[in-house]
Amino acid sequence: MKRAIFGWDKGILVFLVLTTIVGSFVTPYFANASNFSFVIQDIGEFMLMAIPMTFLIIAGEIDLSIGSTICLSSAALGYSYRQGIPFWLCLVIALVVGLLCGLINGILVTYFGLQSLAVTIGTLALYRGLCFVLLGNQPVNQMPLSYTDLGSNSIPHTFLPYVTILIFIFGAMGWIALHYSRLGRWTFAVGINVEAAKFSGIPVMRLKLALFAMTGLMAGVAGIVYTFRFASASPDGATGYELSVIASVLFGGVSIAGGVGTMWGVLAAVLELGVIRSVLQLINVSANTLLVVSGGLLLLSVAVPRAIEISRSRRKLVSIEKKG
Amino acid sequence: MKIILSRLVAVREVPVFLALLLVLIVTGIANPQFVSASGAQDIFLGVAVIATLCVGQTFVITMRHIDLSVGSTAGFTAYMIGKVSGDHHGLGISLLVALAIGLLVGAVNGFLVAYLRLPSLVVTLASLWIVRGIFNQVAGGNTITDNQVPSALGYLGRHSFAYIPYIFIIAFALVLFASFIMHSSRPARDLYAMGSNPPASELAGIPVIKRTFFAFLASGAVSGLGGAILLARFHSADSNSGLGLELNVIAACVVGGVAVAGGVGTPYGALIGALLLQSITQALGALGVSQFWQLAVNGVLLISAISLDRYLTLRIKPTRILRVKS
Repeated sequence: MKRAIFGWDKGILVFLVLTTIVGSFVTPYFANASNFSFVIQDIGEFMLMAIPMTFLIIAGEIDLSIGSTICLSSAALGYSYRQGIPFWLCLVIALVVGLLCGLINGILVTYFGLQSLAVTIGTLALYRGLCFVLLGNQPVNQMPLSYTDLGSNSIPHTFLPYVTILIFIFGAMGWIALHYSRLGRWTFAVGINVEAAKFSGIPVMRLKLALFAMTGLMAGVAGIVYTFRFASASPDGATGYELSVIASVLFGGVSIAGGVGTMWGVLAAVLELGVIRSVLQLINVSANTLLVVSGGLLLLSVAVPRAIEISRSRRKLVSIEKKG
Repeated sequence: MKIILSRLVAVREVPVFLALLLVLIVTGIANPQFVSASGAQDIFLGVAVIATLCVGQTFVITMRHIDLSVGSTAGFTAYMIGKVSGDHHGLGISLLVALAIGLLVGAVNGFLVAYLRLPSLVVTLASLWIVRGIFNQVAGGNTITDNQVPSALGYLGRHSFAYIPYIFIIAFALVLFASFIMHSSRPARDLYAMGSNPPASELAGIPVIKRTFFAFLASGAVSGLGGAILLARFHSADSNSGLGLELNVIAACVVGGVAVAGGVGTPYGALIGALLLQSITQALGALGVSQFWQLAVNGVLLISAISLDRYLTLRIKPTRILRVKS
């Protein structure tokens, strides 16, 4: 089982290379610096959110409230800036709001013992509602240009948008934390068997709380990136991001049942989805087809490993029968 | 007396119902206009679509699965009913088309979840997008307008019997029917067993695969019907119809005592949950609270409902064991 899904990770990488090659052949507008920067900018928030979401899903939990959390931290940023608070402090407020949102989710899941799926549907509504409470119907459009330029410009002398820096830093941190640290080993252990993890002395509650807090904090970062990119904070921003992020994590070979997955598989999957979207857009495929393609890919990501597994177990059966 | 009381509270629907009464009474005292025929009508109208979809969702959640595709399916069928009937086919044909679409989506979901054993969250998330994508492709920028809506559906959506809108009566009848089935029919009882302990239910000889498939099929069919009610309710449909409805439906189920952990809950509980969420929305308006608070209050309500539910199950379980022992 593990092997089959491991294979899917590599498959994503092959898929990514193939899409890139095919993309550069079918349209001349694909393989150039400005389009590449466009792709990265487009998937920036998804990349950032996919990192903590990978931890959560591997640990057997889920967070559906991230879209609302991104929006709430963005709304808090806009609201406090509108109140005349210095901008750097607004950024801190946005991060704190994100962290708080994550902590609330985590406390409800761990110390109240509630199901994360149900809790985060509740906080999805709650945080989104608070966005409307904060901003009403008026988006905040007056943002200091010196900051919001970071969201639209590229790093000097390169074609890479500034968000690339964040993706590299957090991606590397996530990778190391998941695969080469105690936190990561614990995460896998909890996802595979929570009871066994408890008995072997892993502080399951604190670990899960930390993972939810991490997700919230990252949603705060993504909220800032989102605000810079659109140079505004509106109460209906980032709607539906949760499903896209979860889909890319699963597409990257993480099992929804927990315990299985790799960070690079997920990051490659987010990039792959961005590249496919870009290629399809450039050859004038409609947004509707994009939806169907995303759904189809998501299905494939669970169906293919499953099919491999079934065929393997059949082969095993056959060989056993032959022996017997 | 105490035993009766604790038994009453143990019925998961009772606290929700009490909360509903409390909301209605408090709001009624604060703003007498709230307790009026038109106020009730608003609540019933608002709840009809959600209550219908809750029926299918209850089947699915009870066996510890989830169906996220109901919003897309209901929106799509609402549009298709209008489209088919606008092309001068009768109501019967357009309803058949709706039912066929619902059944098809349900069958695909059911096949993937039951026979291939894929996780339902992933499968139905994928079908949410695929159905929405096909829907948008078919609908484009078109809108189904009032004159394309089958006249019978339009009538049901506009008129009431003794201040109760017909579409709510339909939804209510469906909820009653489903509650009866879930209470007394064996295949539906199996769903509870499957949700409380999947491996045990398989060992006990329940045809888990078949039941899972048919529960998803039922959810799909109900979504098709939900589309008809959606169209009757709004007298129009476009490519945004039913967007995000799935989360409202799941919220109503969860508030009404259908736990996402599976194994418990009833369709009428989900209906009470839907009524509670809708009345609070309406009550906030009647109390003069800014509309911007409504979503946040719904979120708080949802979280308190599941917290309360957890608290009650933790408290009640030990007493039950004691009673068995004595």
